[in-house]
Amino acid sequence: MNAQNPSLRSLRKKALLLGSVGAILLGVSAFIWPDRAWANMLASAFFLVTIGLGGAVFLALANVCGAGWHVAFRRIPEALTGLLPIGGLLLLATLGAQLSRFTWHHHGTGDPGTFWFKEMWLDSRFFLARAFLFILIWILFSRILVRNSIRQDETGNGDRRINAGISVVFLAIFAVTFSLAGIDWIMALEPMWFSTMWGVYQFSGLMMATLACIVLGSVFLRSAGPMQGIFRDDHLHDLGKLLLGFSCFWMYIWFSQYMLIWYSNIPEETFYFEKRMNTPWLPITIGNLVLNWIIPFFVLLPRPSKRNQGIMVKIAVVVLLGRWVDLSVMIFPVVVGEMPLWGVPEIAAIALLFGLGSLLFLRSFTLGNCVPRNDPFLAESMHYHT
Amino acid sequence: MSRRVLLATFSHENDLLNAVAAVRERGIKIVDAYTPYAVHGLERAMGLKHSRLTWVCFICGMVGALGMLAFEHWTAAIAWPINVGGKPWNSLPSDVPVAFEAAVLLAGFGSVFALFAVSRLFPGKSADVIHPNSSDDRFVLVMDESNASFDTASVEAMLKSFDVVETEERILSGAGQS
Repeated sequence: MNAQNPSLRSLRKKALLLGSVGAILLGVSAFIWPDRAWANMLASAFFLVTIGLGGAVFLALANVCGAGWHVAFRRIPEALTGLLPIGGLLLLATLGAQLSRFTWHHHGTGDPGTFWFKEMWLDSRFFLARAFLFILIWILFSRILVRNSIRQDETGNGDRRINAGISVVFLAIFAVTFSLAGIDWIMALEPMWFSTMWGVYQFSGLMMATLACIVLGSVFLRSAGPMQGIFRDDHLHDLGKLLLGFSCFWMYIWFSQYMLIWYSNIPEETFYFEKRMNTPWLPITIGNLVLNWIIPFFVLLPRPSKRNQGIMVKIAVVVLLGRWVDLSVMIFPVVVGEMPLWGVPEIAAIALLFGLGSLLFLRSFTLGNCVPRNDPFLAESMHYHT
Repeated sequence: MSRRVLLATFSHENDLLNAVAAVRERGIKIVDAYTPYAVHGLERAMGLKHSRLTWVCFICGMVGALGMLAFEHWTAAIAWPINVGGKPWNSLPSDVPVAFEAAVLLAGFGSVFALFAVSRLFPGKSADVIHPNSSDDRFVLVMDESNASFDTASVEAMLKSFDVVETEERILSGAGQS
């Protein structure tokens, strides 16, 4: 029934068009500015993977907590996990295309900071195999969580304890693998630098982007039809509270990382911020804080704005933009250089990200029913007051 | 200040919710409702205005954060500068954690004490129980009778349709029940 919805179908066409234009432009710019195109590709692919993974994390968290409030719009985080396979493939292709950026021992052993574990860890084969394994594990767990939910539509059976058990295992594995993935794919671009806050910093960004995507997807599907009368302002309100909370969490983690490095003032740690604050990147670094915390915090603080769909959509867009800027600040100063550049490759990457992301999301959303119709908590979720 | 009120007691939350809607439709002023647990949708049915406590919380938090930043700047850079790790006197990053804690502390205490003040709660206050079962299995609705147009008999008859368990007229004295 979903697949016939005309507004969804036309949007899928537009998303496909946007994604293709982005992909072509990015492909062309790879010949003109190979470094910039690669950095954009890494940011986009990592962005896609984290949103897909974030959908699974949201489901797992809800299962572990025994939550019922999210059941009415559970198909939206479930549809987000549909971004994982293609996003993962893109990411693996990106990593494989310029593997030399991560493997640092090709300078020859004996470099400062070299020791056997680091060399073993960043060995190209082990690096790629690990990336493959991480993505495979995430796809596997998200498939299991979504499959159990879809199966419940037909059979009506769904043992919440089994799902909660799977989710506990997944969250434990996720905590380890995602920390390592963030370190591998982004922090290892600067192999001489290290931060123990990095894993949790990546996690905070993942949660923010995922919640923003759930808000955008729910509000869009409510106005387009399928979620009308199902997704309520009370759900929006609670998503807004979570977004506000994780925005503060992100700022807390960002500042914790910054302050520890600022305080101890050791050259092998400070050069990360040196590169991003004593260069023309400074305004972008400050803009990152404005987009990810200052704007969401002050706008989402009053109750009415969390229940207002227009405001929530704008904040979700700001947060997603902030996530892109956050990833740019992590990646671009290393790969591209001291000068923040903005042009065709960046616009192409954002178009690819938005087009491909919406296309994959809508494709997996239209596969099944738009509500888990046999979930025993559906009634509770639809009469939910916050 | 004392006033005449009508107490209506229900045994189900839905009866209370429907009665509140009907009572408001008749233009009767509701003094308060007492329930054993938080009834979802009751504040909306009663037409309660949104609490201003959030503003108290926000302002206390801002005072805590900005006040502590100012105080730290004064101590560290003006009154008694101490060289810590060769950092400049007015180092903002080192001030942030304490300012954050002060914001949380003031926002928390400010909200709690503002709530106590507004509800006139203080240690040792004797409990003002409107109905012995209002914290057990009864939902109590308190209506203002002071309006001259209040017709007790017809209100009681109307409440019958919501399975009212008992009604009782009472004179409330003092501010505790407002």
